[in-house]
Amino acid sequence: MSLKEITLSPILPIWLIVILLALSIAVLILLSPRLRKRVGPHRVLWISCLRLSAFFLLIGFFLNPTSTERVEKKTSPSLALFVDTSPTMGLPVKDGGISRLAEAGGLLLKGKPPLLKALADRFEVQVYGLGESLRPLEAGEILQLKAGGRKGDLTGALEKMSSRNVLPVLLSDGKVEWKGKGISPLPLFTIPVGDPGEYQDIWIHAVKAPSIAFRGREVVVEAVVKNHGYRQATLPVSLKDGDKLLAAQSIRIPTSPAEIPLSFSFTLEETGQHHLSLSIPPQAGEITPLNNTFPFSLRVVKDKIRILMVSGTPSLNYRYMRMAFKSDQSIDLLSFVILRTPTDVLNVPLQEQSLIPFPVETLFSKELRHFDLLIFDNFPYHLYIKPAYLEEVRAFVKAGGGLALIGGPNLLDEGKYSGTPLEEVLPIEAAGKGDYQREVPLKARLTRAGRSHPITGLEATEKENVNLWREMPPLDGSNRVRVKTSATILLESGDGIPHPILAVERYGQGRVFVLATDYSWKWYMGMIARGRSHYAYYRFMERAVRWLTKDPGLDPIQIILPEEAVRIGQRKEIRVRVRPEEDSPEMKRVIQFSVFDPQGMKVGAEMKPAGSSGESTASFIPEKAGNYKLKVENPGGSVEESVAIYEPIEERDGLPEHERLMKIAESTGGKFLSPQEDLLQEIIRAAEKRESRYVEERAIPLWSHFSWLALVLTLLSAEWYLRRRWGLI
Amino acid sequence: MILRREFLLSALTLAGGILFPGANLFGKSPYPHFFFSQIRYRGGSWDTNPHFVEAIVEELEMRTSIDASRERRLMDLSDPDLFFSPFLFMAGNYEFEPFSPQERESLRRYLTFGGFFFAEDTLGAKGYGFDRALRAELKKVFPHQDLKRLPLDHPVYRSFYLINHIGGRQLVSPYFEGITLDHWTPVIYSQNDLSGAWSRDKLGKWIHECPPGGETQRSLAFKAGINMIVYSLTWDYKRDLVHHPFIKKRLSP
Repeated sequence: MSLKEITLSPILPIWLIVILLALSIAVLILLSPRLRKRVGPHRVLWISCLRLSAFFLLIGFFLNPTSTERVEKKTSPSLALFVDTSPTMGLPVKDGGISRLAEAGGLLLKGKPPLLKALADRFEVQVYGLGESLRPLEAGEILQLKAGGRKGDLTGALEKMSSRNVLPVLLSDGKVEWKGKGISPLPLFTIPVGDPGEYQDIWIHAVKAPSIAFRGREVVVEAVVKNHGYRQATLPVSLKDGDKLLAAQSIRIPTSPAEIPLSFSFTLEETGQHHLSLSIPPQAGEITPLNNTFPFSLRVVKDKIRILMVSGTPSLNYRYMRMAFKSDQSIDLLSFVILRTPTDVLNVPLQEQSLIPFPVETLFSKELRHFDLLIFDNFPYHLYIKPAYLEEVRAFVKAGGGLALIGGPNLLDEGKYSGTPLEEVLPIEAAGKGDYQREVPLKARLTRAGRSHPITGLEATEKENVNLWREMPPLDGSNRVRVKTSATILLESGDGIPHPILAVERYGQGRVFVLATDYSWKWYMGMIARGRSHYAYYRFMERAVRWLTKDPGLDPIQIILPEEAVRIGQRKEIRVRVRPEEDSPEMKRVIQFSVFDPQGMKVGAEMKPAGSSGESTASFIPEKAGNYKLKVENPGGSVEESVAIYEPIEERDGLPEHERLMKIAESTGGKFLSPQEDLLQEIIRAAEKRESRYVEERAIPLWSHFSWLALVLTLLSAEWYLRRRWGLI
Repeated sequence: MILRREFLLSALTLAGGILFPGANLFGKSPYPHFFFSQIRYRGGSWDTNPHFVEAIVEELEMRTSIDASRERRLMDLSDPDLFFSPFLFMAGNYEFEPFSPQERESLRRYLTFGGFFFAEDTLGAKGYGFDRALRAELKKVFPHQDLKRLPLDHPVYRSFYLINHIGGRQLVSPYFEGITLDHWTPVIYSQNDLSGAWSRDKLGKWIHECPPGGETQRSLAFKAGINMIVYSLTWDYKRDLVHHPFIKKRLSP
């Protein structure tokens, strides 16, 4: 023990100790003259020294001197064996061979003696499955490990181990998450699995496609195909929309590896979500065909809503509807107005008239499907359209088109729709003559369904909406129609016995609308006459068109997908909004959410109410790449949406990256261990280098030591003894 | 003078009326989509051609699918029914009293939001009388717009007949003038006295001669009138692309 190893920890303040010391010296000095009178100076000196020493020792205890002992010790590191379970570890080492994961298990559990057992005899060993997180494994679990999920997070694993004396050893193909040099405080030893030399694969590496395209306009999709192990090959690449082939082309692979860019141009005519895929057929000897297909989604929207309007006669109703449609940039209107009936007499040759033929056959047998909405405006169809074309109209609506009949004397063409294919399509009874009347002007009144329906809901709140409709000018003419029980009446006459003015119904995938008046234009000019704006009429027309053409923004059930992409294994959240459209709104808010994986199997999904009324949050966890179908149902109908879950680009290339493992090991100060080496000896050598030395320290308080107490007692006893001997007591 | 065609039509109508008493053989529609509204203004003479409606409506119904009323609705500019007029007509010979501010505002609002107004100087004196007063009033209603000659590709020359000049009781200008707002021409003006050319007495005799062109000039007045009516009900329908190839072909020499 040296003075350097003694530390002082005063139990009293220093100034108090100094005062005590000073008082002690003062007492000794004061007592010394009395002693000198009775004994000689030598004896005074002896007694004073003994007393002073005893005081010093006693006061010294207040300084609490402590002795520190240091002992140097050694310890071996424990071993942390990380077995990578990233998706690529499930790939075979070679065509038809065992998986990389099985190879890793073999390295640990096979051999004489098995590496794991040999290591466990010398070290404390823990095996971990390295996925998105670390999972401790029992020895028996190693061969049951399954590859999948997300890439192994090596950075996180090493950070987790950093506070322990651990030697980490990684068995991997190199496809792990690693954030680079300088992260790990531990030297990592890596053992590669898989064989880059045996790896043969062709895959679609990347696809660059817009998420939204316009109907009928060219879409360009660019892609990159990569390969390992194939050369001088010609391969077909096909682009499909679901199962339908959109385009195909051949690419030439000159060398290995190679990167071949390609692009496809195509147009889509159907609006909605399209599930496209680029694919290359599996090749002989290919390690995995899973990355030969790249699925992606494309939402096709209307650039314009295409309306075909046929008016039976020029009228203000036609003109104001035309003005409303023409004022909307999203509408592409093609209208035909019957300017001359077969009984009208023309007094000039063809060259002097602007009349054009009504291309009935072209429109109704060929072009109708290119429109979103067909409007018959007070149109006596039987004079111009063969009944057979009404079947085309029925099919058009059934397939998702919109049909609007606008009232007037010819609304029902004097009962001629009866017995035609349109009879079942219309929301009103086709029999009868339409019973057109122009008596006293009548007000249109919202029905209960009309108060919240997208077409008649012109204002933000129901109260404002009801007030607006109350202010709407009366109509001078209307048809007395009978509405089918399956239809919904949105507007009815407000005077006398109510009769329907606006009725809607769904037919097949399409929607039908009958406005039983040819005076809706008075909702425009009547408001202008009162000094108001034409907002209500334009809004009504705009919303009618949007509802008839199934604008998703007006759907009672809406699925709102998040913008950001979601990876496999990550929870995907979707907002579901339900707006009551018709009667029984409470019942219609009861909704059911289902999710189907790319193979059509139902997967687990949750749904819980969100903050705002009528809105819920639904979620599910996609376990694989591909297109998931989402279905929201309520008693009022159902909506389907789909979402593509992409495999991350970096995981499409399954080539073992042994060089990367080498670099990772080097960057941490560890070593890349080849399976051909004696792994046991290599790990033992590495562990020896990692043996840690440490100094154990022990603090011993001196005042509690007996010898120090004995010394004080000895000094005081000696002083007492001398005083007694010298006759001072 | 009654035309042979009119005589035959009258005879047929009469015969039809006897044979089919319930039939609508006069071509009169119970539910017309078109009628004339005529402005009664202060000063000058607002009713220079009181019998213009019958013949033009008859011609309209005979040639087109438009159901029209033979009724002429007379109204002041302050009448709220002004806003429900498909075709607002104003004619005169002489200078008239200026419109009141409320009348101007009512007219401006009607025309700005889709109304249609046909005015004609039946005297045909440029810069004098009705012409001067109307131009002054229109300038007050639309201070930033001028009456301009409508180009030959304007829909009013193509809405039913393909015409490149207009007729009338007189031939002051072979063209229409108009004020165009955006794509709509709510004001059309003529000094040819079209309504004079349309006027017929109760016996079916034309009230006015149409010098110098005679019946051809009258026929052109009817064509121009029908075109205006069709334009007032169809807006720029004939500008739609679907009509272009047909019209182009028919107009090519």
